[in-house]
Amino acid sequence: MTLLERDKDAPQAWHGNLPVTSRYTYGIAGERFFRTLKDEGKIMGAVCPDCDHTYVPAAAFCERCLAELTEWVDVGLVGELHTYTVLFVDYEGRQLDEPELVGFITFGDGGIVHKLEADPDDLDIGIPMQAILKPKSKREGSILDILYFKPVEG
Amino acid sequence: MTAKIKHFPGTSLSEKDFDEKKVLFVHDELKADYAWDTGVGIGTYLAGLKRGVIMGSYCATCHKTVVPPRTVCEWCFRPMDEYVPVRDTGTVNTFSLCYVTWDVKRIKEPEIPAVIHLDGSSELSDASVIMGGIMHKLGDVDPKKVKIGMRVQAVWKKPEQRMGAITDILYFKPIKD
Repeated sequence: MTLLERDKDAPQAWHGNLPVTSRYTYGIAGERFFRTLKDEGKIMGAVCPDCDHTYVPAAAFCERCLAELTEWVDVGLVGELHTYTVLFVDYEGRQLDEPELVGFITFGDGGIVHKLEADPDDLDIGIPMQAILKPKSKREGSILDILYFKPVEG
Repeated sequence: MTAKIKHFPGTSLSEKDFDEKKVLFVHDELKADYAWDTGVGIGTYLAGLKRGVIMGSYCATCHKTVVPPRTVCEWCFRPMDEYVPVRDTGTVNTFSLCYVTWDVKRIKEPEIPAVIHLDGSSELSDASVIMGGIMHKLGDVDPKKVKIGMRVQAVWKKPEQRMGAITDILYFKPIKD
């Protein structure tokens, strides 16, 4: 056996797992944003009057002038489809039986990335999309309290 | 600088606040499975352990034998010349009496991690030097009687239970004179 030849009895790889867990709190603005979503079913934005900019999701400070943002506004549940993609594989890379849709829906000067429920043929950049929320009793203060976005009918 | 700050802004949170759901939070578990390629040298080492031998590699230029085996000599940077079995007996180089487990639980009977300097196999010339030692545990010993320089021998798993891992050696125990 030469020195650089693999021993045929050698295990190819050592398998292991790193037990990493995390707990994420949303922060001051995030807490208020998700509380409002949970309790009132509203998507909130924060306005910077000096920069004429509405942050969605609402933020604590203006990214442009660093001023504290105190003016919070309900931006409604209907936004505009900015872009979307059709997914044929899941998170693990497995083929999906039914393709899934993910899109970016703009509200104010920001927006939300979420799942879409629609026939891909009905989607167009710029069409109005409505957030469909879980019933209030099932909401837990998570982005998944929004089930999906669907095109506004009519 | 922080000494000047009397009050840090922000909200400190206790475990109770989470239990009572005073704040919103998400719990996540990272999927961190990994497969570490054993490579040629360590692969040979692990295959050896499965067979019940501890393998090293020998550089004929430097007359050095290293355990675990490496493919390149650390002194002359030339490829090592051969894999050699070393004995499963050795000398305690250093040790520790450890009263906490790896995940920081207190234990009454200490674990005894030790670096064991293994004896070279008989084919090696007198000029050979076994460099360093391997990290393992001591067992079957009174913790008070562990000493640097103590002679020890490997206690192996049964051949059918060995899987090509350092844990194929259960521990090292003192050699009784």
